[in-house]
Amino acid sequence: MMAIDSHTGVGSQIPRLSLALLMLTQAVVVVPHGAHLSWWVIVVGLACAAWRWMVFQGRWGFPSRWIKVLLVTMAAIGVGLDVRLRALSAFSLETATALLIVAFALKLVETRSRRDAYVVIFLSYFVIATEFLFEQTMAIAAYELLAVVLVTAAMVGLNQMHTRIRPLVSLRIAATLVLQAAPLMLVLFLFFPRMAPLWSVPLPGGAQTGITDRVTPGDIAVLTQSDEIAFRVVFDGPIPHPRALYWRGIVYSRYDRGTWSVGPQHTAAHEPPLQLDIGTSTPRRYEVLLEPTQGVWLFALETPVPVSPGVELTRDYRLVADEPVRSLFRYRVDSFADYVADRSLPDWLERRETQIARGVNPRAVRFAAELAARYPNKRDYLDALLERIRVEPYRYTLNPPRLSSDDDIDEFWFDTRAGFCSHYAAAFVYLARLAGIPARMVGGYQGGEINPLTGHIVVRQYDAHAWAEVWLEDAGWVRMDPTAAVAPQRIEQGLDAALSEPDRATLSALTALRFGGSKIADLMYWFESLEHRWNVWVVGYDSDRQYHYLRQLLGGVSPVKIGLVMLAGGAVSLALVALSLFWRRRTQSGHPLERTFRHFGKALGRHGMPRAPEESPRAFLARVAQWLDKPASDLMPLVESLEALLYNPMPDQSRHQRRFVERGLRRLRLEAALRNRN
Amino acid sequence: MEQAAKLARWERSERFGRWLDRRIPKSSRITLSQDSIFIFPTATGFVFGGLVVLLIIGAINYQNSLVYGVAFLLGSLFLVAILYTFRNLSGITLEYVASGSGFVGEPIEFEVRVARPSGAGREGVQLGWPDSIPQWAEIFDHEAAPVHLYVTSSARGWLRPGRLLVETYYPLGLLRAWTWVDLDAKAIVYPQPIFGAAPDASARQRDEGVLVDPKGSDDFNDMRGYRPGDSVRRILWRTYARTEELIVKEYASYVDPRFILDFDAVPGDTEERLSRLTGMALTATNLQREFAVALPGTFIESGLGSAHLERVLRTLALYGIDDGD
Repeated sequence: MMAIDSHTGVGSQIPRLSLALLMLTQAVVVVPHGAHLSWWVIVVGLACAAWRWMVFQGRWGFPSRWIKVLLVTMAAIGVGLDVRLRALSAFSLETATALLIVAFALKLVETRSRRDAYVVIFLSYFVIATEFLFEQTMAIAAYELLAVVLVTAAMVGLNQMHTRIRPLVSLRIAATLVLQAAPLMLVLFLFFPRMAPLWSVPLPGGAQTGITDRVTPGDIAVLTQSDEIAFRVVFDGPIPHPRALYWRGIVYSRYDRGTWSVGPQHTAAHEPPLQLDIGTSTPRRYEVLLEPTQGVWLFALETPVPVSPGVELTRDYRLVADEPVRSLFRYRVDSFADYVADRSLPDWLERRETQIARGVNPRAVRFAAELAARYPNKRDYLDALLERIRVEPYRYTLNPPRLSSDDDIDEFWFDTRAGFCSHYAAAFVYLARLAGIPARMVGGYQGGEINPLTGHIVVRQYDAHAWAEVWLEDAGWVRMDPTAAVAPQRIEQGLDAALSEPDRATLSALTALRFGGSKIADLMYWFESLEHRWNVWVVGYDSDRQYHYLRQLLGGVSPVKIGLVMLAGGAVSLALVALSLFWRRRTQSGHPLERTFRHFGKALGRHGMPRAPEESPRAFLARVAQWLDKPASDLMPLVESLEALLYNPMPDQSRHQRRFVERGLRRLRLEAALRNRN
Repeated sequence: MEQAAKLARWERSERFGRWLDRRIPKSSRITLSQDSIFIFPTATGFVFGGLVVLLIIGAINYQNSLVYGVAFLLGSLFLVAILYTFRNLSGITLEYVASGSGFVGEPIEFEVRVARPSGAGREGVQLGWPDSIPQWAEIFDHEAAPVHLYVTSSARGWLRPGRLLVETYYPLGLLRAWTWVDLDAKAIVYPQPIFGAAPDASARQRDEGVLVDPKGSDDFNDMRGYRPGDSVRRILWRTYARTEELIVKEYASYVDPRFILDFDAVPGDTEERLSRLTGMALTATNLQREFAVALPGTFIESGLGSAHLERVLRTLALYGIDDGD
């Protein structure tokens, strides 16, 4: 950076109030980063802030060079350790952010010149932008907007005259500036062409959320229910009933010692690329806004065809993204509900979908053999399984007993008979495979909640579900949901209806409220719809959406057109600002008391005692005194206060005096009116 | 810090000066408008621009709408700041009010009145000549304010501080709006006085016969301590011999109608002579002694008092200088 501090001619010191604002600013912009920073970065930040505060108070000195070297070394070691401990990549976004924040905190300690202050201000803007790589909710955006105003206020404070720096004044000016910049920003946001990434960058990592690619039902003692949003869906046509919505995500084909996982994926080497013979059926068309999952799998209704780029169809009719979903991901899908998936099954696939561990679950093996003997027809066999779940005392619960890893199916099917969707789906698939029927477990979400305000569907983590798919001659893959046999309410009305009292205890407070069906629920709908619109129009506004929107708006997209619109929009928004700046409001001119006195002069003019043009207050009041037959000395205190106020460089420090003058002038007006009466 | 140090070379060049003369003609009262205000980003402003570009690149690579939002908001802020910074100078009236006078090497005061249009106050406006320390104009609460600037001259004669730099960085410090106005201000600078040789040293040659014997003078009035510049002849040597104290006699009116400070009678080159005469004139005035001044081509009749002194100093200051305007 160049000699930034040379430009005022009043030295390079930072005004104290401006510095205080700067320190506040720093705290405000770092706070949201607390969610993904290690605790020690926070400690370093707090220590630096405390030190700077002591310097500010004049109790401590600035750190010496050695202490600075020590601090920087410690910070570097700290970041290094952090990378090791949290198993982050050295070039991950988290590491970079931690480094940025530490550097930011250390910079504050040594901030003393205007140039330092500008470095801190620019870093603040940068830290604000960085936060959006981790979170993009409306609440965070609103918070960061306030932070931008605060940072700008610190910058304004640096450029105000020292006599006029007051934090509130700087804040007001900064807020006005940001407000006036908003229309132009909007124009740029809408029309600035969105481009493809220039090079690949590390995206925020973090724990996987939602469903995972391996499931061990027996391990789970308590299924915690989160009301976090998994994804939102907007249907082009009518919204289907939630009961019919099975959002397929992951297909678990492989079973090993109680754990279900995704089977080996066979690619084009074995099989020609999957071509759907759609025929003439009309698809159900919708758009999904998926929250980050850190996985590649996407969710769609049965037999989907991807419309958006970057989305592909797999051999088991799932959709996957080209890259793990690390930020809000938007994709359009056409789903063909009537499509018959896999009219014939290739050998390798049949082997995969009937694979079973031998030598475990002996009771289940015997049970399946007996049942298959009784029901040679495959459909009958499967129906018998469902019937058993329906009739026997099976129980749906979120607090199932644990199962052993080897004979988990046996234990569940014959002993505990209590579990949630994956238990039932796993046992069902296992028993189907024992009878030689190709079957697999599918993980995803079932149902969803229609927001009455916008008509979109919200699918939350507690809608996570697992079910089974079996392959039948002529019918292809058929979905069968054993959970519907044990807890039909779960499918019909959602999780809430299927819960028992002990299950409810595992719900978070917010989820419980959501199920309460009160006014608060309405409010939540409203927030939800707001958040949805935010996701669609702001967070999800990408080149694709921009293109559609601009085509709609301009009736065609060409660089010239966009350039012209941007130019025109920019000109109009700046012209508005210019108008507000250069428009001179004559009546509002001058000192507030000057105005008051002008009004006073006019009022007395109506009573027959006009003030001569440019007559000084002193001269005019002397004439008024004479006119009212008062000794001139009576009005002296008033005249003196008035003059002190009019020519005082610090006008708002003497509110007292001002009130005195205003009262005095009012009394004179009254006396003038009375004099005319008599 | 003096402003001269940070002016770019082109700003000091003669061509730029001539161009400015055409664009903003010399006048003692100038109201700034878009014709006369320049605006350009500061170094800080360029760094800010770099930050915006960096954010846009980040937004493209991360495909992040909200980072785009921050970048666009900052960019817009910059554009709005252009209007603010420009507005901060626009409409301001500068008027040259008065100037003081002084000797070479002394700071000489100039008063400039800065007035703004009624309405919103202006903040952080400063003015200064290249050789002066810039001053703030306090025109936020008041519609007009006087600004006192001090310029030190190194040569006698007319001091024309030249174009006045009016500038502002308000509100964000990212942009600088400035202008150069020539208010046609000038002040007179007297020669730097040299005290030392007695004023009568030069006078004696012509006035020997007329000189009154101090001892016999009726006008002898008072005695006081010796001050540098006093005539050696007026020292009471007898007192000195007794008390070793230098006492001089003073006269109510030193009757010497022909006490002349003569340019030709003092040593040195022209400037040194003028400096010596200045010193003498000051001393003579201090001693309440009437004096006349003889310069080649000019003669100022004998006189006393501040008006006389000023006339003498002015003549000395402008000696040999074309009093153009």
